[in-house]
Amino acid sequence: MKLEKTIYLDHNATTPVAPELLADLPKWGVAWGNPSSVHLAGRKPKQLVRQARKSISKVLAVHPLEIIFTSGGSEANNLAIQSVFTEEWWRKKNKKAEFITSNVEHPSVAKVFDFIESFGAKVHRISLNTKGEFDLDQFKNCLNENTVLVSIMYANNETGACLPIDQIVPMAHSFGALVHTDAVQALGKEDIQLKNLNVDYCSFSAHKVYSLKGAGCLYVKTGVPLGSLIMGGAQERSRRAGTENTLAIASFGQAVENIGDLHTRNNHIRKLRDQMEKLISENIEDCFILSQEAQRLSNTSNVVFSGIDGESLLMNLDLVGIYVSTGAACSSGSSEPSPVLMAMGLNREQAQGSLRLSLGWNTTEFEIITFVKELSRIVQRLRQLKQESVS
Amino acid sequence: MKKEKPRVLVAMSGGVDSSVAAALLKEQGYDVIGVTMQVWDYTQTDCSLEEGNGTCCSSIDVDDARSVADALEIPFYVINCENEFKQNVIDPFVDSYLKGETPIPCVNCNTYLKFDYLLDKMRELDCDYLATGHYAQVQTSPVSGKKSIVTSSDDWKDQTYFLFTLKSEIIDKLLFPVGTWKKPELREYAEKLSLPVAKKKDSTGICFVGNGDYSDFVARQAPDKVENLKGVLKKFPSGEVLAGHGGTHKFTYGQRKGLGVSWTEPLYVVKIEAETNTVWLGEEKYLYSSEVEVKDLNLLDDIESGEVLRVKIRFQHQGANAVVEKNGSDSLRLKFEQAQRSVTPGQAAVFYRDKQLVGGGWIL
Repeated sequence: MKLEKTIYLDHNATTPVAPELLADLPKWGVAWGNPSSVHLAGRKPKQLVRQARKSISKVLAVHPLEIIFTSGGSEANNLAIQSVFTEEWWRKKNKKAEFITSNVEHPSVAKVFDFIESFGAKVHRISLNTKGEFDLDQFKNCLNENTVLVSIMYANNETGACLPIDQIVPMAHSFGALVHTDAVQALGKEDIQLKNLNVDYCSFSAHKVYSLKGAGCLYVKTGVPLGSLIMGGAQERSRRAGTENTLAIASFGQAVENIGDLHTRNNHIRKLRDQMEKLISENIEDCFILSQEAQRLSNTSNVVFSGIDGESLLMNLDLVGIYVSTGAACSSGSSEPSPVLMAMGLNREQAQGSLRLSLGWNTTEFEIITFVKELSRIVQRLRQLKQESVS
Repeated sequence: MKKEKPRVLVAMSGGVDSSVAAALLKEQGYDVIGVTMQVWDYTQTDCSLEEGNGTCCSSIDVDDARSVADALEIPFYVINCENEFKQNVIDPFVDSYLKGETPIPCVNCNTYLKFDYLLDKMRELDCDYLATGHYAQVQTSPVSGKKSIVTSSDDWKDQTYFLFTLKSEIIDKLLFPVGTWKKPELREYAEKLSLPVAKKKDSTGICFVGNGDYSDFVARQAPDKVENLKGVLKKFPSGEVLAGHGGTHKFTYGQRKGLGVSWTEPLYVVKIEAETNTVWLGEEKYLYSSEVEVKDLNLLDDIESGEVLRVKIRFQHQGANAVVEKNGSDSLRLKFEQAQRSVTPGQAAVFYRDKQLVGGGWIL
């Protein structure tokens, strides 16, 4: 019943740790000193953190001191948004401050805006249509001189749709608003030119690029306001207190260096993804691919199967050894349909029948073919069951 | 691909019974899949870090079930059934109290979730059987080859009372692995297997109410409606008004304590009249009735008018013989050989032929 080898198609949830990083872990692990220590035991770990900062800033083409290490993407998102809110709302007492975000953000952005809204601040949420296109007109209409922060994700975790950050930034800046983008899903998949984009804040996570969990970072453009969520230490120039997770940070730096030639990686993954979508469309009736025509990440596909419960589909695939997800991983375990898909215009039944497939650097053609074979078998069986229960 | 062994979906509550059920199935060579229904947002009622192995706010029981599944190395899923549970169990439970009844929500949970919703899941996951940790047995008649549900080996734990709404056609899909066990031995076995829940206390009362008071729960769920349940306590049968009361939902049939009335003889709740919010208090002799109407009948086997069956009128009732008089397909009248104490509307009357569960209905 089970496949001989499991197939992992959930790389947007997390990625396997690259074998070469695993091999380096003991080397980093023995540098157990506190990076803040003056004595010699602190030198090596401090160097590891510095090296990681350097690697990441080099790949992103920014200054090393514009990188703030955090515990991950969620913290980076919180740090950026809460910093601007605190600065405007509490410090400057600017009660007219307005915020703009999209309605397809990761919960670590969406929930922060709900929180901000609870104090009375105005928050606009721009929608995406079913095709995955961002409504720039709606965005333009919401912008005004009171807008202090725009936070729009770089690429959506559930559909892979890329949002037009390059167009959003100049429009926001012309009203004096700062711009944050959550690029957690884009790192290692898109060529992110922070300086060209001219964003003010950008969030990243290590475990989405074949590194350990427990590290991430926020890019903060020199000169823009930044507070701290965690106070009490001089780490990260007093902006993020707490002894550094040296092992995760060191592996993060190495992982970012390992990204290498994006073009080759994307060509490989996109080819497999497109092949998978073609196979699905050819072999399974009554299904459609979300945002297929939109500009999308090379690795992500979100397929909606009509008349099927995505949760049952996921469990059936799990039982044969194929790992995928429905909606975002964080919302799994709840039968509520993904709010992101609902926001994109899907009805409840469609959203509940969706499957997110995200490929990785090591996904093979054999895996894709095997997966679609199993998928169509299961979809067929589930549909047959449903038909039987109706009749 | 052909399945090598029969596959079974086992409903795991995180308690010791369903945990051992899962373990036994695995030993018996089934391909076992564990599932827990997340039915209620426990953050509303209890949120304790001290008990069990659970983490706060994810429900301790779900976490316990997961750790048992981990120990048994079986696939395990949590299915969120909060909406289904609210609609089919909580709301009817509250409504029933508002109508002056004393409901048993466990039956609805079995009817609409365990043996309906989970049965669908069982088919969707390509399983051959659905198993639970109920103390009940499935037996095949040596004569007709027909399967029926019979009481468990442990008379004291027998839970067939909660299963009377099952449809007879699903019986051959059901497994009750602990039905042949006695509780103390089962617990011993759980310890022998080092199951993480071996020492966990048995759940008592209604799962979603927790340790709290039922009437407090009802008041929290329907704060406006319980305001309209205030009325008076009257002496039965004279009708003399004895006192006012804070709501009919605070009383159950046969209740003696906490009535707030003193009288020469001990008084009991003998009737709750929802239309007028009157709670009738009477002497013990008025608690007994020898006839009862039963509605929403479900039968797992044929019964004949005039037949004498053993009837349980509440879970802990030892059963009493009654003559069945059918009046229509959906209801019947029971005439007990001996008058029964506190026949309570909202509870179930469940019928047995010797050990066989033959059906039941709701007491009017």
